[in-house]
Amino acid sequence: MSRTVSLVLALGVGFFYLPIVVLAIFSFNASSLMAFPLSGFTLSWYADLFGNRAFLEGFLTSFLIAQPVGILGAFIGLMAALAVTAPGLRFRAVFVVLVILPFLVPKTVLSIAQAMLMNWVGLGRGATALIAAQTLVAVPFATTIIAAVLIRLDPRLEEAARDLGATPWQSFRRVLLPQLSGALGAAYSISVILSLADLTISMFLAGRTQPLSLVVASEFRRELKPDLNAMQVSVLVLTAVIVALTELNRRRLRRRASPMRDPE
Amino acid sequence: MPFSRVHLAFPVALALVLGCVLPLGLLLVFSVFTVDMDAFEMVPDLSGHSWGQILSNPVFAFLIGKAVVSGLVTAGLAALVGYPLALAMARLPVVWKGVANIVLLTPLYTGEIVRIYAWRIVLGSEGLVNAVLKGFDLIDAPLKFLLFSPFTTHLVLLYNNLPFMVLAIWISVELVDHRLIEAARDLGARPVEAFTKVILPLTTPGLAVGLFAVFALAAGDMLTPSLLGGTSGATPMAMIDNLFGTAFDWPLASALALSLLIVLFGCASLMAGLLLRMRGARAVFAGRLP
Repeated sequence: MSRTVSLVLALGVGFFYLPIVVLAIFSFNASSLMAFPLSGFTLSWYADLFGNRAFLEGFLTSFLIAQPVGILGAFIGLMAALAVTAPGLRFRAVFVVLVILPFLVPKTVLSIAQAMLMNWVGLGRGATALIAAQTLVAVPFATTIIAAVLIRLDPRLEEAARDLGATPWQSFRRVLLPQLSGALGAAYSISVILSLADLTISMFLAGRTQPLSLVVASEFRRELKPDLNAMQVSVLVLTAVIVALTELNRRRLRRRASPMRDPE
Repeated sequence: MPFSRVHLAFPVALALVLGCVLPLGLLLVFSVFTVDMDAFEMVPDLSGHSWGQILSNPVFAFLIGKAVVSGLVTAGLAALVGYPLALAMARLPVVWKGVANIVLLTPLYTGEIVRIYAWRIVLGSEGLVNAVLKGFDLIDAPLKFLLFSPFTTHLVLLYNNLPFMVLAIWISVELVDHRLIEAARDLGARPVEAFTKVILPLTTPGLAVGLFAVFALAAGDMLTPSLLGGTSGATPMAMIDNLFGTAFDWPLASALALSLLIVLFGCASLMAGLLLRMRGARAVFAGRLP
């Protein structure tokens, strides 16, 4: 690796992680003012966190909403990916545009339009609406992840299964699904993470439900206190754990699958 | 016809039509309704009043134009910063590429509000940047333009959307046959020439996808400008939010939202279309070399 390459990568990592590192530093800083110079080390902001009921309840709500979003996101993503990579899909371009539409339409506009529609047909806002809307936004990501794996699979395996008399369901269950479990895990994780990170959709569709991002946002408008930093760092660590577990799982599955695909 | 994978497209399409296309279509219907301000409800009296307002009041055109400029600036900056990063990542040994992918995408997973909040600490008058500059005696008073200015908005918009650009270009770079670059270098091309004559033309599809995505995301952002842009932070999205929530003018909110969508998609498609028409991109799609 040349020196230019290392320098560019170092600058890139620096830019991407600078705000996160600063956030972490101030969560351990013994002063309620977030200003330099630093005043010493403390864990009291983390201790405060466990006494803050609004944060804890918000966290529980966010977690409970993220689970169905993760499962539904992966499930719909799987169906969309199977369809889009199938030979003989007519109007493929239209279908692709439809699937990536929630990614491209500004979330504010989409959420307001959804809120108007629900108001009009007389559906209430709340957890169900939030889960449905967040799932839609996760679908483009989940589909891309699963489709990226599907197009690399050997189509002859599925054809062989069908030639040997397997029904479409059997060939899916026995041939495709085992090769997709890593991608499904990744699709689930990214849907969960997008749901945890979302604020815009919650603002318009959460109704009386109060996920963590809304609690933090209302806190944010009033004042900046370091227990908020401790909160953010905790959420970040949790996110990093989800990402790391997903990646480890993917590698484990790939290792297990690889001797089957190319015997040495 | 027996059941096959193709049929899975129907339930997915149905979900997306119900959850995405129908609400957006409803905007079109609502935009020609009128509000009965006495009864405080929307009535289906067809009128072109809202569209008239959109076309006659320059505030709306100004806000939409501002969103477009914001999107273009962010997309352009992301392309400038994204190319060196993507090229550097493509040079990594294979085992490191998976790690690089995680390192690139993790900041994306932090919540919108977390990122905005963190940048306030970095750029504030007693924040990191000002503290460092002061420490080196480069400035006497904290730099004010760092926070709550168009500079802040675009810096954070770049931060939010750069990973999408890097990812799109990176995938494109990985698909370029590395021997072509080596051949160019062997034949005496300087690194800059190898980039402009070989890499850039062959990666235009990735660049087009990246520009399209970053433009749409940056131009459609509401929170970053409103929480970090200070007085410059007005966006069409905030205006729509206001008309929808506080002012209860759903027809005007709908008309503005639709106008914004039409302009954004028009610009994004034009930009991506022009790039994909270029010789390099056509060569990539035709599967042959220029």
